[in-house]
Amino acid sequence: MNIQLTPTGLNPFDDPLDRILAEIALSIQLPPSLHDKAKSRYEAVRRHLETTTAFFDQIEHFYPQGSMAIDATISTRGTDDEYDLDIVSQLGGRFRGMAPLEILTELEAALADYPVQRVLRQTRCVTLFYADKMHLDVTPSLRVYATLDRESLITHAKGPRRSADDRFVDMNAYGFVQWYASRTPLELRMAKEFHRRWLDHAGLAARADADVDDVPDQCDFIVKNTATLALQLLKRFRNIRYSSYTGRIPPSVMLSYYAGLAAQPNMSLSAMLVRLASWIIRDIEQASLYRRLLHVANPICETDVFTDRWPESIAQQDEFAGHLRELIRSLEVMRKGEMCPDTMMDTLRRSFGERVVTRAANQIATEIGGGIQQSRQLYTRRGGLLLPSATAVAAPIVNPAVSVARPHTFFGRKI
Amino acid sequence: MTAAILSIDEQVAAMRAAWPQFSARRIDRRAQSARWVGSVRPQYASYSLEIRYEVGSLPEVRVLSPDLVRLPGNSEGQLPHVYPPAEDPTLCLFDPREREWTAAMTIASTTVPWALDWLACYELWVMTGRWTGGGRHAGQDIGEARVTT
Repeated sequence: MNIQLTPTGLNPFDDPLDRILAEIALSIQLPPSLHDKAKSRYEAVRRHLETTTAFFDQIEHFYPQGSMAIDATISTRGTDDEYDLDIVSQLGGRFRGMAPLEILTELEAALADYPVQRVLRQTRCVTLFYADKMHLDVTPSLRVYATLDRESLITHAKGPRRSADDRFVDMNAYGFVQWYASRTPLELRMAKEFHRRWLDHAGLAARADADVDDVPDQCDFIVKNTATLALQLLKRFRNIRYSSYTGRIPPSVMLSYYAGLAAQPNMSLSAMLVRLASWIIRDIEQASLYRRLLHVANPICETDVFTDRWPESIAQQDEFAGHLRELIRSLEVMRKGEMCPDTMMDTLRRSFGERVVTRAANQIATEIGGGIQQSRQLYTRRGGLLLPSATAVAAPIVNPAVSVARPHTFFGRKI
Repeated sequence: MTAAILSIDEQVAAMRAAWPQFSARRIDRRAQSARWVGSVRPQYASYSLEIRYEVGSLPEVRVLSPDLVRLPGNSEGQLPHVYPPAEDPTLCLFDPREREWTAAMTIASTTVPWALDWLACYELWVMTGRWTGGGRHAGQDIGEARVTT
């Protein structure tokens, strides 16, 4: 009889390399305080718009898109504590027949007195800048009828005057989110542990205990799948590698598409990151071989092209593939245990940023050192030291290859 | 009642059972001594360890490879919790005053796991500059021991 078990995912905190990668991901997450604010803020923006004459009764849907919708939000490029969140505002009949710039200008006017630090009209959206460094992009859209759910046209207009380049761009962010979610189902073991630590890191230990059994399938902003964790790390890697770059960079939505493709149950985090990066490299190499630009479209809306603004040249895509190859090479050496810890720290810092890597290592040092002082560690027969997580503590009962620690005190000299 | 001192054959048998990747070399039954070499990977990197033991003395543990990283100027010294000489340090894994190790204990159940602890703490010390595994350096009061730095 074949029994299909639901994949629960691997706990990234049970493997040393995955643990430091997961700690890095924790450091770049939207923290719980801002997570709660983000939800209430986008609801408040909708309520505000609906009180204005222009938008009263004209908002058909108001929904998160991009990283916010797939739980992959990380700090903005060049920062460790700023977050960009994206909302689509699907508009009603009054806006049909308007030019893209008119719609954007109306939205800007309706939000002009919104209580934030700054309101800025951009090419495709209006951005609200909050004092705590959160940025909320509100993108107006018009539904394309007789197509898949929520396929829409979004506005593209640089302004301040109309231009021949102004246009509507086809997209289906909502459909992409459904596609991504179907590819990256909840991995309960991984999600619970990550969620608990996410709350714990923010000093919400009590809430962490209360919420840990309560990671629902539809829980917004909570990383639910190892592929999404790998996606966050890859986005962070890109942000660091392109931190001083002024042009366009590999778009997040394209990376999300590859994370959806690469997703596979019960893979370790480091293996998933290698798999994701390899997948992108393969497609870039194939495109470059035929002197073509990488072309990635929304899998459920082929006219929604994720690579419409990047890459602009074959050299650009080859450069990104080079960065990814370097990432894979270093991860493979780490996975084999062939990299000394000082070199590993330097490599991780170059890949993910000085501050977050230092913080991750400090967190692990405190936990492991504390565990050893309390003799909570376990050993595998192959000479591995297991960390004092809940899973590991239960291990000797089921795994005779694991032995328990005996108290001792490091002694010796300082040489 | 004092527990019986274990012979070198008993130590070798215990090592073989618990840590098969450690091969015993130079077993000298007359001198009651042995040398083991094996590869371990407590956390991030793999290490080749050597353990030398002669009944009646303390086990000696060395890291054969890779070379241990030194952190000059670190508050724990350039390499903490070892015995000199600096160019050939041996790991100091227990406090003799606490009687944490006796010849009635197996190396397999004490020295090897403690060396894994040392390596895990050493790696995190190299990564952060903090020795978080506690312990006491010679000359330091017992009251200061086990303090996380």
